[in-house]
Amino acid sequence: MLHLKSHNLLIQKTLSEAIEANSNGTPLTLDRIVSDFDYTIFHISNQEGNKTILLLSIKTKAWVSIQKIDANNGLLPYLQSKYQPFAGISVSQSAEPGYDFTLVLDLASLTNESVVESSLLKTAILSFPFQLAFQESFELSKLPAPEDGSSIDSQKLYNIQNRDDEQFFIKASNDRVTVIFETIFQDETDKILGKVFLQEFVDARKRNRSIQSAPQVLVSNEPPLELQSFTSSRNPQNDASRRFITFVLFPRHFQTAELQHMSISQLTLFRNYFHYHIKCSKAYMHSRMRYRVDSFVKVLNRAKLDEDKDGLENDNQSTRRTITGRKMVY
Amino acid sequence: MSYLNNPAIVMDNGTGLTKLGFAGNDSPSWIFPTAIATAQSSNAKSSANAPQGLGNAKAGVSNPATSNPYFGNSTSATSFASNSNAFLLSNNLAGKRGTEDLDFYIGNEALVASQGPAYSLSYPIRHGQVENWDHMERFWENSIFKYLRAEPEDHFFLLTEPPLNPPENREQVAEIFFESFNCAGLYIAVQAVLALAASWTSAQVTDRSLTGTVIDSGDGVTHVIPVAEGYVVGSAIKNIPIAGRDITLFIQSLLRERGEADSSLKTAERIKQEYCYVCPDIVKEFNKFDRQPEKFAQFIIENQDKTTKKVIDIGYERFLAPEIFFNPEIASSDFLTPLPTVVDQTIQACPIDVRKGLYNNIVLSGGSTMFKDFSRRLQRDVKSIVSNRIAQNEALTGTKSTGVDVQVISHRKQRNAVWFGGSLLAQTAEFKGYCHTKKDYEEHGPEIVRNFSLFNMV
Repeated sequence: MLHLKSHNLLIQKTLSEAIEANSNGTPLTLDRIVSDFDYTIFHISNQEGNKTILLLSIKTKAWVSIQKIDANNGLLPYLQSKYQPFAGISVSQSAEPGYDFTLVLDLASLTNESVVESSLLKTAILSFPFQLAFQESFELSKLPAPEDGSSIDSQKLYNIQNRDDEQFFIKASNDRVTVIFETIFQDETDKILGKVFLQEFVDARKRNRSIQSAPQVLVSNEPPLELQSFTSSRNPQNDASRRFITFVLFPRHFQTAELQHMSISQLTLFRNYFHYHIKCSKAYMHSRMRYRVDSFVKVLNRAKLDEDKDGLENDNQSTRRTITGRKMVY
Repeated sequence: MSYLNNPAIVMDNGTGLTKLGFAGNDSPSWIFPTAIATAQSSNAKSSANAPQGLGNAKAGVSNPATSNPYFGNSTSATSFASNSNAFLLSNNLAGKRGTEDLDFYIGNEALVASQGPAYSLSYPIRHGQVENWDHMERFWENSIFKYLRAEPEDHFFLLTEPPLNPPENREQVAEIFFESFNCAGLYIAVQAVLALAASWTSAQVTDRSLTGTVIDSGDGVTHVIPVAEGYVVGSAIKNIPIAGRDITLFIQSLLRERGEADSSLKTAERIKQEYCYVCPDIVKEFNKFDRQPEKFAQFIIENQDKTTKKVIDIGYERFLAPEIFFNPEIASSDFLTPLPTVVDQTIQACPIDVRKGLYNNIVLSGGSTMFKDFSRRLQRDVKSIVSNRIAQNEALTGTKSTGVDVQVISHRKQRNAVWFGGSLLAQTAEFKGYCHTKKDYEEHGPEIVRNFSLFNMV
């Protein structure tokens, strides 16, 4: 029901059109902007002088903080290895000016699979800290478990700043990976709806037995203990509506590459999905409000007094009205 | 305030087609029918097992582009699967307690979904104006989040409205955009004004004025709208009940009369888009066809696996079909005024001091003005009407007229002129200053959108 797709439909469509035009011998001239959630902008353009090569550049808010995460500068090699196996995609060594990262796509050799993969570019970039955390968790789980049953936590806390005053954190342990979203609502109505939704996230798992395998969700106003080491520069005036949403991923959520991809793409879309559904609920309430107003108007119309004198031709019987207040004409 | 760097979103919701995209692009990112398929109340329970045709949409990731309903910008709003829409039940959600309100599809996906039994199709916009706000709100919601993938809080929006749209409708739009979506800023522009702005890309245009006559011909109806310095002269607007669909139907009737192998609406529409042109003189054109049989074209339809072929001959309809704008009597019996005469009447109904500007800048917009040489023929016909009148005047009064220059402007972005004009205006640095922001809205309430300052760009 109204799931947001993890790949960008518009990039997929644009690339497919470009491939088709190219195979018909009339390559398109492209210079398009495509947006995505959280201050992400893509730019699809032709390589200079060669219409069969496309450049797909991305600029995203999260890039700076993701790059800072790994001291060894592992992000570019990671993306390179991620896109290596796909036909027609290569990573540009220098990003287009004004953008963070650029893929070079060769229209002649792009396959459907690589089109989908390039439309997943944003998810690919965001998956880097997740992959590091999963890796770390695997390594920690090989250590002997402490006698008292406590867990070994990693010393590292990955902090990804994906919006102006919202961010998320990832922390690995030997038996789980914790993902914490810090979120805030601008709008008063959103605050209330958001609160209800968040409570539902926590409660749904308790009530519904069929989703017991889903990751555990916790919501709090206070920063969870995992964030103790993190000194934030946040604006205290907004603190009242600040929420921390914690997802606890167990090894069963990231055992295989496929599961990892699922978990990552759903978690990275969490905030957008959440806000989307707040908006959908508002729309639903509006439609009920409109319906209610309509039915009240109907009642009022029936109570309207007949002021005009055009009832002459049927003065024997009282004028009859339809439900909307119109007169019956005989 | 980093949303300032995000591109503005330009949305042109027409009666037939919706154009969505980002300011600064040269063409809309998405063009799909303004249609929404909602779960039917009677069998809402069965909607969980979605219709068969939708398997396609869901497996879209691996499918080749042609069979995927997301892809391919539409050029037609007609749903060719006419077996749908047989029954339109009341679709109000108020009685529903489940998640039925989330169970809907828009655009091309809606056309696919409505072929199944579980969904009914409806078009929330009629005659350019929003009829069903519930459906429209959900249509917008899905188009922003799913198709444009934008968080409305981070973007400015430019929406369009038809001329003579009641201010109450604007307020409704503002309520939805500011209260449901919390959009950062909103500008509602009149379609005709945007079409004028789009004509600035044409080489014929020398001064970027917002004075001119817009001929907007879409699928359902053709409007002739005079605009003086950015304001629509509402009293002078004229409508012609001849537009794209009538041309298609006319072609279809000609094909049927001749007994062609295939005379479906779809074929007629392809013929209209690919073969039709406007001729300077019908009689001469008939003679030309008779002398040069190679002018008769052939249209070949292959079925999906290319096993059978149908050959359809295309004859006089190549030039006869668009001719119904200039000689409506060949197709209809109830509307008989040719388009050039209507244009002239419209301009004559305007204040005298703007008429020269209106004659000088006649701008075309919409898919049904795309025929080859349409602008030439229109310019010639309007010119002859005007010069006849001037000659008559000169003979009666004996004074010499300074002359009126008639110019019809045709440009490459004509098909989506309204959207393109919006994209041009919304990418300027000043655009955000003209918008009403969320803060303004909260301060003044919905009536704030009754007035927008005009783009005075020189």
